[in-house]
Amino acid sequence: MNEATSLDGGASIAAPVAATPARKLFPFEFRGNGGEYFRIWIVNLLLTIITLGIYSAWAKVRRLRYFYGNTLLDGHSFEYHGRPLAILKGRLIVVGLYFGFLLLAQVMPLVVLVFLPLIIFGLPWIVMRSRLFQLRMSSYRNLRFNFAGSYGGAMGAFVGWYLLTVITFGILYPAWVRKRVQYTLDNSLYGTQPFEFKTGNGEYFKFCYITAGLSLLAYIVGAFALFGLTAIKDVFTSGIPPTGLQMLSALGVGGFLLILVAAIAGFSIAAYYQASFINASFGGVEIGSNSVLSDLKVAPLMWIYVTNLLGIVFTLGLFYPWAKVRQTRYQLENMQVDSDGNLGAFTAGATGATSAVGEEAGDFFDVDFGL
Amino acid sequence: MISGRYFDGHSATAGEARIEFGADGVVRVHGLAEPVAVPLGQVNISDRVGNITRRVTFPGGAVFETFQNDAMDRALEVHNVKRATALVHWLEARWPVALGSLVAVALVSFAFLRWGVPALADWTAKVLPTATDRAIGSGSLDVLDRVAFRKSELSDARQKELRARFALMTRDLKDGHAYELELRHGAAIGANAFALPSGIVVMTDELVEMSKTDDELVAVLAHEIGHVRGRHALRQLLQAAGVSAIALALLGDVSSISGLLSAAPALLHAKHSRDFEREADAFGKKWLREHNIAESNFDAILCRMSEEHPGSGDVDYFSSHPATSERAHCTPAQQRAN
Repeated sequence: MNEATSLDGGASIAAPVAATPARKLFPFEFRGNGGEYFRIWIVNLLLTIITLGIYSAWAKVRRLRYFYGNTLLDGHSFEYHGRPLAILKGRLIVVGLYFGFLLLAQVMPLVVLVFLPLIIFGLPWIVMRSRLFQLRMSSYRNLRFNFAGSYGGAMGAFVGWYLLTVITFGILYPAWVRKRVQYTLDNSLYGTQPFEFKTGNGEYFKFCYITAGLSLLAYIVGAFALFGLTAIKDVFTSGIPPTGLQMLSALGVGGFLLILVAAIAGFSIAAYYQASFINASFGGVEIGSNSVLSDLKVAPLMWIYVTNLLGIVFTLGLFYPWAKVRQTRYQLENMQVDSDGNLGAFTAGATGATSAVGEEAGDFFDVDFGL
Repeated sequence: MISGRYFDGHSATAGEARIEFGADGVVRVHGLAEPVAVPLGQVNISDRVGNITRRVTFPGGAVFETFQNDAMDRALEVHNVKRATALVHWLEARWPVALGSLVAVALVSFAFLRWGVPALADWTAKVLPTATDRAIGSGSLDVLDRVAFRKSELSDARQKELRARFALMTRDLKDGHAYELELRHGAAIGANAFALPSGIVVMTDELVEMSKTDDELVAVLAHEIGHVRGRHALRQLLQAAGVSAIALALLGDVSSISGLLSAAPALLHAKHSRDFEREADAFGKKWLREHNIAESNFDAILCRMSEEHPGSGDVDYFSSHPATSERAHCTPAQQRAN
C-alpha cells in the first residue's frame, strides 16, 4: 500500500503553483531496454512464422505498445490502442488488392495504365487514412490524439508539390519535404487542441542543400577512388550483372578501405540529415502554450548508426532489438517540452473507430511519410 | 488494493487513486471524490507488455492506470480472468523461451532462404511471361557498348558464319526467347561471353581468337543459352527480392541498417549465381552430348579462359562462378596458372 509513489516515476504530476506561471522543461524519457525488447521481438517473430504471418498484426500492436508505453513525459506514458483485428483486416485487404492487381496485370497488361492514375489519386488517401488511424490510436494521459488533415491537403502536399519539385528540377525538394511534414503536424490534434507547425522553409532548404552538397562531394571522391582502383576486368564474367559488392571484393584491401571510408561518409551524411530533419520537424511543434524542443546532435547519432550497424552485422541481426531501443532512446531523450507548467490541462475530443486499411497500405507499399 | 492514477475520461488531469478487485466481482476505485464501482465484466484490462502501464478502462472512457503489473496479474489470477494474450507475456518474460524461439527462427529462416526463396522464385518465373525477361535486359547492351565494348574487328564473313551457327543452335528451342548472337571487341573485358535475359548472347573477339575449334565456341554458347533458357537473370532478381523482403520483415525499422538491407541480397547473390552457373554448365554439357559434340570442348576453352584470368579460379564467397577445378578438367599446367 505504501508503493503509492511508484507511478510518479520521479516527476511530479501536480503543476507548479498557479500564481507563478513560470515555464518548465519536461524531458521525454524512454524506459525500454534491449534485453526485454529482444524477448518480445523474438517470441513474436516465431509466433508470426508459425501462423504464416497472421500473428504479425498482434505482434505489431505489442511492439507499438512497448515503445509507446515506455515513452514517458512528465511521468506519464503514451499508449497505443490499435486493435490487432483491425490491422489484420487492413493487411488482408491490401495484400488481396496487391495480388489481385498482379494477377490482373498478367491477363491484361494494359490494366497497368489504368492503375497508374489510381495510384496517384490513391496514395494521398492512403497517407491521410494512415495518419488518422495512427493518431487516433495514440493517447497520452488518457487523451487521444486526432488528425484533421483532408484528402485535398494530402493531394497537394504529396502529389502537387511532387510535381512542382519535378518541374523545377528538384530545386523545390526541401519545400516538398516541409510540406509533407506540415501536412502531418499542422493537422494533428491532442484532444481538441490543434498542433501548430512553426518551422519555416529556410531551415529545410538549408539542411537539404547541405546534405545534397555533401553527398555529391562524397560521390565524386568515391567515384574517382573506385575508378583509380579498379580495372573493370573480371567483372563482366556472366550474363548476370555483378553486384557492387562483387566489384569491390575483386579489389581486395583497397576495396575494403574504400567501403569503410564510404560507409563512414555515408553515415555522417545520413546522421546529419536525420538529426536536422527531426530537429526541424518535431522542434517546430507547438501545442497550445507548450512547444516541443528537439536537439539531436550529429556526432552521437552517427555513433549510434555505426555501432548499430556493426552490432547487427556481427550478430547476424540479433542485435536489432538493442539497436532499435538505443536509437529510440537517443531520439526521445534529446527532446523535451517547454511548457507553461501544466501538461494536464487538455480536454477530450470525439474519438471514432477508424479502419486500419490506409495505415496498412502505407506500411505495405512503404510510402514515405517523411515522419 | 493497487495504487495508481485515475483519469475521468474527459481531461488529461490525473488523480491519485487505488483500485480494488472485490471478492464480490466488483471493481472499485478508491480515493476519488465520487467512488467508482463497476462489475469486473464491464471493465477492459489491457494486456501486459513488458512493464508498461496497465490500464483498466471503465465504461464511459475513464481509466485507472498503474505500473504495478505483478500486483495486477495476481489480482486477475485470483478472479480467474484468463486470456490467451497473458500466455504471450509469459513467453516474452522468459530468457529460455526467447533462446528457444531464436533457435527455431534461425532454423526456419535458413531453410526458407536455402530452399523456399529459390523455389518461390522459380514458381514466379514460370508464371511470368517471357516479355518480362526482355524488359529486364533492355538497355543493358547499349550501356555496355558505351562503357566497355568496341565494334567487333572480326571479318564480316567470320561474323556471318558464327551467327549462322548460333541460329542453327537455337532454331528448335521455341521457348519464346529472341535468340541472337552479338560480336564485340572486348577490350578490357578480354575473352568472354555472356547472355542477356532477352536472348542476346554477346561474345568477344578475344574469345573467338582464343578458341582452337568452332566446337569450343559452340560449347560456350550452349552454356550461355542455358542461362537464357533457365531464365537465370529473372530468377536472380526474384530471389533478391525475396531475400530483401525477409530482411525487411525481420529488421525493417532501424535507420542505420536500411543500407545494410540492400546489401543482404548481395551476400546471397553470389551463392545463387554459382548455382545458376552450375545449372548452365549442366545444360550446356547435355546439349553437347545430344548433338554429338565432345564435352571436353567446354573444359578446354574454360581452362584456357581461367588461364587468362589468373586468380579467378579460386572460389570464395563473393565469387559469381564456381571454381574452375569443379567445372572442368584442366591440364596440370593450366591448374598451376590458377
